[in-house]
Amino acid sequence: MPPTRSVRERLIECFRDVFPQLPGDVIPGASVDTLPAWDSLATVTLLALIEEEFGVRVKPESIEGLTSFDRVLAYLTARPSV
Amino acid sequence: MKLRDALRIVNAPLSPEAAALDVALICGFTPLHLSTFLLAELRTRLSGYQVRLTSGLYGDTLGSLRRLRADPPAAVVAALEWPDLDARLGVRSLGGWGADLLDDIVRSARARLDAITEATIDLAQRSRVVISLPTLPLPPIGHSHPAQLSRLDADLRAALSGFAVAMARALGVHLVSEQVLQRSSPPSARWDVRGELATGFPYQLDHASELARLIAALIHPATPKKGLITDLDDTLWKGIVGDAGASGVAWDLAGHAQIHGLYQQLLSALADSGVLVAVASKNDRALVDEVFARDDVLLRPTHIFPFEVHWSAKSESVTRVLRAWNIGADSVVFVDDSPMELAEVSATHPGVTCIQFPRDDPDALLELLVQLRALFGKDVITDEDRIRQESLRRREQVVGADSAEAEANGEVNESFLREAEGEVTITATKLPFDARAFELVNKTNQFNLNGRRHPEAAWRASLADDRFVLLTLSYRDKFGPLGKIAVAGGHRDGDAIHLETWVMSCRAFARRLEHVMVQQLFERFGVSEIVFDFAPTERNGPLRTFLTEILGAEPAPGARLTRTEFDRLCPPLYHTISDAANA
Repeated sequence: MPPTRSVRERLIECFRDVFPQLPGDVIPGASVDTLPAWDSLATVTLLALIEEEFGVRVKPESIEGLTSFDRVLAYLTARPSV
Repeated sequence: MKLRDALRIVNAPLSPEAAALDVALICGFTPLHLSTFLLAELRTRLSGYQVRLTSGLYGDTLGSLRRLRADPPAAVVAALEWPDLDARLGVRSLGGWGADLLDDIVRSARARLDAITEATIDLAQRSRVVISLPTLPLPPIGHSHPAQLSRLDADLRAALSGFAVAMARALGVHLVSEQVLQRSSPPSARWDVRGELATGFPYQLDHASELARLIAALIHPATPKKGLITDLDDTLWKGIVGDAGASGVAWDLAGHAQIHGLYQQLLSALADSGVLVAVASKNDRALVDEVFARDDVLLRPTHIFPFEVHWSAKSESVTRVLRAWNIGADSVVFVDDSPMELAEVSATHPGVTCIQFPRDDPDALLELLVQLRALFGKDVITDEDRIRQESLRRREQVVGADSAEAEANGEVNESFLREAEGEVTITATKLPFDARAFELVNKTNQFNLNGRRHPEAAWRASLADDRFVLLTLSYRDKFGPLGKIAVAGGHRDGDAIHLETWVMSCRAFARRLEHVMVQQLFERFGVSEIVFDFAPTERNGPLRTFLTEILGAEPAPGARLTRTEFDRLCPPLYHTISDAANA
């Protein structure tokens, strides 16, 4: 299984835990603009979950840019430790 | 617990039929993940309830506590940190750390703690309150070297200690133990400064998880075990008494056997707090008696009932002890140094908690002592705790072992009852909170209407309901007191009482106190019918037998008994009855 796919699947699980009402097939297209439940509280929870799941520390300056599933995925896959 | 696991528990659907249980989490910081972990822990522990968690206002712990007075929830959690005492003690405030401000910081912290004390004691009358004292370090405030305990630091900790003493003494308030928290959450790995500055949440996830776990354990503690059965040789003392003789066994430093002395010391303290202690030993009884006659023994023979000292299997001893105590195996702990004996007892009594005594390992012994404290821990020691062992011993002395067993099975000796000079004291008030009544409701198995357990928070919520009635019964006779031994509670509905809770200690069987209880429910509350919220359990045969007799048929959920029918079927009652207020 390619590493990128594995990261993607794990990230989908993270989104599913933070947004349990969100259908699985909608998650890859989710963004702050399309998902009303994605508020500041959800952002903090999602980032904490991602840090726990992937063993990374998200830099404060990176947080503002993590506004969609794709962007979070790109951020993670760019990290050598993930 | 991982955040992912907590979120999955929190997101799982709840049974719509489950009763709601409200818990308030009050903290000066953003509750965020502490809230998630706490809700997950509570939903796991209180799976029969819809636990709902609310939180207070950011930065206003005192105000949030005060606002709860209007409509107190079943339980209140106050997770304090230094900024709750004075915002300048936090990293999100820039109010100054200059030397000229230090006295003012201490003054304001003291005043804030006084105000929190007042608000908390008020809340604790109606809610179960859990407090965690500051778990994070103070910032580098003050002018001395960080290696030195500054006057400011000492003053603040003294104020906090005074607060902790007041809270530890207050009824209904429970403090998280920092010593226990340190075992699972090292102080150096607790603070997430980055997170606190970014989001207002100051805890590392692991710390939040551990703190939530301990808080939940204090909101809904496990039911304590009732009795401990201990081996003797190489457990209660070092050595084999059959080989070394009574003077050759040891439990002190001189005999290189201090761990056995510590174990005796703990068992003695447990016995004093109402835990039943028995001995199961393959030994010569005369030799064992010689050891217990020594002046230096810490666990006195009066602490122990019964002694099962013979050469039969340990499982047989445990069977006899359970019969003498009249309690279930799942309420009992068995301690022995021999893995073989533990396995033999466990095979016959799978419900018994079997623990190996670590005879050559002082570190493991200390762990064992902590484990025993956890298994038998209770909030308060009641009068009934002090007399429990003695009343069991006296019962066997008065009626003999065989009759005691018959009595345990509910068989009534008419002449014994007539001549016992039984005195019943009835209490029909709900306040102040009765810890003994609550304990009985949650530890009684055999005479139990439906086996339902009640978290303290839920029990307090029931008591606050105007329609809820509560009756407790204490008993003594010429052979001594049994203390408070029965509790009945339910909702009054017109001319009937819907009895939802009814328990009676097994020590009080065969005295027709269940009949007295029903009679008093009719009389005190002036109703003409009792509806029993009965449910069969694996263990409530004695209550089922009583209901079958008094109803004339096997009880079903919602079984009804009229006063007329009760008066017709009630056997003679010989007790004198008084009110607690007049007793």
